Formats: sequence, C-alpha cells, structure tokens
Amino acid sequence: MSEKSYEVAHLDELDRFPVDDEGLLWRPVRRKLGITAFGTNAYTAEKGTERVVEEHSEEGGHEELYFVASGRATFVLGDEEVDAPAGTFIYAAPGTKRGAVATEPGTTVLAIGAKPGVPHEISKWEEIFVAFGLYRNGDEASAREHLTAFVAENDDQWQGHYNLACLEALTGHRESAIAHLKRAVELEPAAKGYAAKDEDFDSLRDDPEYPA
Amino acid sequence: MSGSANIDDLALRLGSGPSWAMVRTHFGIRSFGVNAYLAEEPGIQLIEAHDELGERAGGHEELYFVSKGRARFTVDGDEIDAPAGTFVFVRDLAAKRTAVAEEAGTTIVIVGGKPGEAFSPSPWERNAEGLVHFASGDYERAAETYERFLTEEPGDAGFLYNLACAESRLGRKEDALAHLRQSAEAEERYRQSAVGDPDFDAIRDDPEFSAITGQADAAGPSS
Repeated sequence: MSEKSYEVAHLDELDRFPVDDEGLLWRPVRRKLGITAFGTNAYTAEKGTERVVEEHSEEGGHEELYFVASGRATFVLGDEEVDAPAGTFIYAAPGTKRGAVATEPGTTVLAIGAKPGVPHEISKWEEIFVAFGLYRNGDEASAREHLTAFVAENDDQWQGHYNLACLEALTGHRESAIAHLKRAVELEPAAKGYAAKDEDFDSLRDDPEYPA
Repeated sequence: MSGSANIDDLALRLGSGPSWAMVRTHFGIRSFGVNAYLAEEPGIQLIEAHDELGERAGGHEELYFVSKGRARFTVDGDEIDAPAGTFVFVRDLAAKRTAVAEEAGTTIVIVGGKPGEAFSPSPWERNAEGLVHFASGDYERAAETYERFLTEEPGDAGFLYNLACAESRLGRKEDALAHLRQSAEAEERYRQSAVGDPDFDAIRDDPEFSAITGQADAAGPSS
C-alpha cells in the first residue's frame, strides 16, 4: 500500500489528552499527521486560566518555537514574562526556562521542536503521554493496552516500564506494578529515586517487594 | 537567543504578493525551517506552486498551518478548503502544492525539515537576506547582497533577477537590463515575472525590456 502524499486535519479533530489534573490538554499533531522531520504538538487551555505550556528547560538540547494560535497566554522565558496574544511566536533556545499560563478561554499554543545538527528522533514519551491521556479520560483498559504494547516493543527502555508501573499502581494491580518498577530500576538505577518522590507509588511503599 | 515577536511585526510586504515573515532567520532557528505568509486581500497566492525536488528546493516535508482566514490549497491536483485551524502536511517531495487566500488577512505558518537528516536551510531562503533590504528601501545593500551571492553561485537566475530589480530601483538602467536578460535566458519564467514587477517601472519603457519580456511585437508597429 502506498502512503498518501499529503494529510489534512483541523485543530478541532485532534485528540485531547489531559496532561495534568488542572486541564492542560495535549493535542498530538506530529503523531496524527505522520511528521518525521521535527516534533510538533498543540496544547489547549479551555477555561483560560490554566497552564498551557509546562515549565521546563529542554536540557537535552532541543530548541523550541511556540506559536499562539488562538486566545492569549503569559509566557515565562528565562527571567522574563511575555504577554502573548494570538499571532505571537516565542522562541526558546536549549536550556532556557520556558512555560506559559493561558489568560483567555480557548487558548491553543502550537509547539515545534527539534535538536540542531542531528536528524530528528521521534520522542518515545509521546506514546506514554497517549496512555496517560487515555487513563485521565477514564479509559483505563485502552490505557493499559496501549502502554503494554509500547513496553513489549521497547523492553529495553526504562521509561515504558516505569510508567506502566505507575498505571498498575494507580489502578490496584500491585504485582504487575512491582514487576515493572523492578525492571525500570534494573535498566535505570535512577528510577529508584524518581519512584521515591512519585506519589503514584504511595500504595506500594509498605510492600516487602517494593524496590526501595 | 530566546525571544518573542508578533507575526504582524515580522511580516515584510513584498511587491504585490503576500507579506513574508521570516521566522527562522529572525530567531536564528537551526533545527527546522519556519516561515509565515500573510495575504492582505483575497486572491493573493500565499504559497507559490512548487514541489520539494530540484536544486533550489530543500527536499523538505512541509507542514502548513492556516492560523487566520481561509485558504484554498491544491496538492497533487486535489483542492482542499482550509479554514483557520487547518493543518496540511505534505510528505511527498514530488507533490505539487500551492495555496491562495480566500479571505483578507489569511495567514499560513509553514514548518519544514528533511526526514532522517540534520536540518539545513533551503537554498531559496538565502534570498531572504536581500529581500530584507528591498523591504526597507535600501536598494544599494540589496544589490551588494546579490552581487556577493552571484560570486558564490555564478549564473543563478533568481539572484540575477533580484540584482536587476535593485539596479532598476537605483537607476542603473544598463546593468538592470543586462542582468534581467541573463536571468530570463537562464529561466524562462522570469520573463513573465518582470512584466508586472514594479521594481522595473524605471526601465519598463525601454525597447530592450519589451524584447526581454516578449512584449516587443505587441508594443511595436505591425509589419
């Protein structure tokens, strides 16, 4: 089967996956359209008071360009605060602190990112975001199915096991949670420290098998 | 350097076509291409008909996002109605694509990159450096810029054409006609481009101009 030469989608047709409990919605663009040369996603804040870009610094070397497609947001960029109505571009160099909170209802921000000097690599985190988006939307079965399939294909990646462990812990699947957390720690010893601070695992801490 | 800018402040009016916001060059982005085009009136061609093959193209997969207004795309012969909020992603480098504004103020943001390779700017984007000087009316610097490009890429039809535009604006009639002729001989399409280009108003009445653009017969007496 030959691949279609182009794809069309409207913002309204994109998935709406909650990223946190405050209402930030992740709208996968790259994943929907099959883009491979750069990363791109949209984020929507419907109420207009919630976060629309998580505060982070991209220490891994990605540069990011944000475009306010609708509404209005206040960005933090390094030490500055920027009022960004629709039509504003915000460029954040690697390592610069960035984040944004919506100041109007229906604010959508488009984010484009890649690492200079190297071919673009699709982030494995996307599939983990999808699984937790499904879970937050109340579809636990699809979330587990999605994450289990991801882990089966990426058995050597600690992030998949760690996040499947989170999901299993949150949904009361104790044995599976501990097995995947153990595997995550085996692949990345630092995961033990992350788990110690992660409230998703609160229900497991008194288990003798918990890898503390 | 991190920073911010409004799309309207970046937009430069280029002749009778759309305004062009050179987003990538403004911010110094190195890992993907990004530009925006704005149409003040309906009917303006926002995306020139092109594919991503050939020497001057970047070989990029391209994402178009209609951020304002409404555009009509044609991709691979298919017509696409694209109101604000529409993404059109063209992965096939050989697919011909174009877009025309349907409403005043229609704006398209374009992002591009080459799958499996580190980003490098499309060769045509170098034109941006000279076009900035056109937009600010500094034709002397525009001419210098294209002369420099031509020492690096002798005979490039696009650079010759833009050099001729700058020279015409500066009143260097002979140079403008010579470079326009070279440009049109290298790429036929520049004969047509010159016809309605206001940069050539100063040399439009010259018979040599009519000869280059193929209007000599229409303008002259019938034999």
